[in-house]
Amino acid sequence: MAYHKHATPNFRNLIVRPMWITLKAALRTIPIIGRSKFLQSHGTSKPYHGQETNLLSDAEREMYTAQAHPVIGQTYAPDRETTELFPHFERPVTVMYPYERLEEMEPWLFVPGNYNGRIGVIWETCTACKACVRICPNDCLHMETETRVNVLDMTEEGDEHHGFGVELEVGGIAARRLEGSEEAAANFQLSTAHEAPPEEYEFGEVINLTGDTISVRWNASGTVEDVEAGDVVGAEVDIVSGRIDLGRCMFCGLCMESCPFNSFFMTNEYDGMSGFTREDLWFEADRTRVLPVQHAEAVDIELAKRADQARKKAEKAAAKAAKSEA
Amino acid sequence: MILMATEDVLSIRDWVRVATDFISENTIGMSRHWEYTDSVSYFLMEFIMCVMVFGGIMTTLLVLLWMERKLLGRFMDRRGARTSLRSLWVGENGVTAGEWWNQLPFGTGVPVGMLNKFLNEVAGNDHELEVVSRVKNRSYHGVWWLLPGFFQNLADGMKFLTKEHMVPEKADRYVFEIAPFLIIATTVMCFTFIPLSPNFYSNDSEMSILFLMAVFSVAPLGVFFAGWSSNNKYTLLGGIRSAAQLTAYEIPLLVTVLSVVVLSGSFNLIEVIEFQADSGVWNIFLLPLGGVLFLVVMVAEVERIPFDMPEAEAELVEGWWTEYGGMRWGLMFASEYLRTYAACLLFAHFFLGGWEAPLEDTIPYIHYVPHILWVFLKAWFMFIFFVWFRAALHRVRTDQILEFGWRWLLPLSLVNLAMATALRLWVYDGINGEWPLLIPILITSISLALFILLSVDEDPEALEAQTRPFSVQTVDVASPGQHRE
Repeated sequence: MAYHKHATPNFRNLIVRPMWITLKAALRTIPIIGRSKFLQSHGTSKPYHGQETNLLSDAEREMYTAQAHPVIGQTYAPDRETTELFPHFERPVTVMYPYERLEEMEPWLFVPGNYNGRIGVIWETCTACKACVRICPNDCLHMETETRVNVLDMTEEGDEHHGFGVELEVGGIAARRLEGSEEAAANFQLSTAHEAPPEEYEFGEVINLTGDTISVRWNASGTVEDVEAGDVVGAEVDIVSGRIDLGRCMFCGLCMESCPFNSFFMTNEYDGMSGFTREDLWFEADRTRVLPVQHAEAVDIELAKRADQARKKAEKAAAKAAKSEA
Repeated sequence: MILMATEDVLSIRDWVRVATDFISENTIGMSRHWEYTDSVSYFLMEFIMCVMVFGGIMTTLLVLLWMERKLLGRFMDRRGARTSLRSLWVGENGVTAGEWWNQLPFGTGVPVGMLNKFLNEVAGNDHELEVVSRVKNRSYHGVWWLLPGFFQNLADGMKFLTKEHMVPEKADRYVFEIAPFLIIATTVMCFTFIPLSPNFYSNDSEMSILFLMAVFSVAPLGVFFAGWSSNNKYTLLGGIRSAAQLTAYEIPLLVTVLSVVVLSGSFNLIEVIEFQADSGVWNIFLLPLGGVLFLVVMVAEVERIPFDMPEAEAELVEGWWTEYGGMRWGLMFASEYLRTYAACLLFAHFFLGGWEAPLEDTIPYIHYVPHILWVFLKAWFMFIFFVWFRAALHRVRTDQILEFGWRWLLPLSLVNLAMATALRLWVYDGINGEWPLLIPILITSISLALFILLSVDEDPEALEAQTRPFSVQTVDVASPGQHRE
């Protein structure tokens, strides 16, 4: 059987090496002798148990050695503390985390890129498909969406911005104002009501746009009806709230994997994930926000995908139009 | 004035003799029993010397425990909390531990309270941070952290003293009670025959080494009694292991001691030391193998790591003394350390020249250092090895312990005995009283060369065929927010 050279059960590895290592550890705690280069693992070419390491880039190593950083010359702990009486006797001290940070004390220790830390969402590219909500095994993602008419479409006809909201398209959502909804809205008193405000619109899926009329399958009844083009306006699914309960999250990252739009991330940041109450761990959308500039790559991929889809659609429409003209 | 090796600046035994002579002459000598004056004086002196030796050993035992605490942490790179008796008088944050001295009757606690107040002013904690930090081994530790750890042993002793004595219901009560007495008494009796300096010993008998070894070997019997009578499978296992191990290691121990006796030509421990002083070379340079054997065997005899299978905490709760508690446990614990102390003292006497100062003839005025200091320093130095072994080496399996003892230590001790005999018969008896320097230098250098040869020993075939069992990955510096594929 082949042994690693440090695992061969001989006198050297069973007796001499452990005794040598412990002797060095003990000598390191002696004030002056312990500082000697011979006992230090830092500053040597093979600092990690006799093996080469390349944790710091050359530039960083120069930077830290140039400023005489406190980590230089430390013996075994992140930071050293002394007593007043015996300033040469050192002892380890815990990193006082919110005020000091480990990557400042020990720059060679970093958070790996694939570490599942705080959840971050690029809400700009989120389409509210809820794939993440459905896949979450701990049920800690909560996303509320609402189908609603764009404000620009709710304006009076002839108004300046009218019709600039949502475009009607096949597979999209069409909305038709309910009969008597204006009257009901006028009578509704928010301060005294014990129920939700009355619905103003009914929604349905657009099936056909080609003729003078628009075929719509209404969501409430399920029946397909041809309606006049002027009777319906476009509608869209909007995110009302996106809440993540980090208290229940086990950081499995399934949500990140399930996201088809590169919008959901487990960042490698570990700050800001604590609170004094359970409610502090309910992250509203603003606390999960990740700026697109930080994830420019992912945003670029998503935008390219969407532009590709739009381009294909436009080409298809153009081809269709050319065909119908012909 | 140049003192001989057997003389000492502290001639304590002579001073005690003068005092007891004075006392007995002025008491018994004045009475009609005047003819017993010498006997009474001698008895008094022996009694006082016994008490002084025992007191000295028990006091310096605290040093051993303190060394164990402090050294082990340093060897294992794991220096922990240093709470101590100090917490009794300092308390936390000026609260002074509930002012317990006010509960003492008749106002006897008033001086304690005053002492507390004084100590609090001198070395007290004026901030909670110090106590919390000391416990958590973090940050600022106050001004006094070196000394008070010494008194942790006193605090432990107080705890043991106040604990209830319990005997398991189905234990063999009489044997259970006798076992600690057997162990502790024989352990303490060892020190009757261990001199601390040429003028600080309780007994100077011709067969002291023989008697010492006999007394030292009684304790395994007590250990087996304790293991058997506790009526507990763990204690029984520990007792059986202990019996097997200790009896197996008795033989190499005795043979190694015999080699020292053969070389020095006396069964008297004091004469063994005087032999080393007179012949000019310590025995360790003549019998390096014997020194190593004695150390290893003694580690096994006092049941310390790596040979502490009889009380392996991981498998047998606390080994053969699981069922003991209170001061019986405390005393057995102390006797464990006393046996270690005896082993260290014996090593110093057998191999390190006892009370003789290093380079006594070369360094001027070193005669005036009290000889007892050298004995203690050498013993404490040897205790470092015990702690070092404990920190570095792993526990060895029982069958491996026995195999090591029978197959390696016993033949090696016989080789050592043969070497000692050869040295005595063919070298020492041919010269007049002093070793020629060539002999110890030759022996020591050959032994060191052998040790180095053994240390660098490696299996070349295994090295050639080795495969790294772990993967080596180059790690780059991570940028926050970047995910690697």
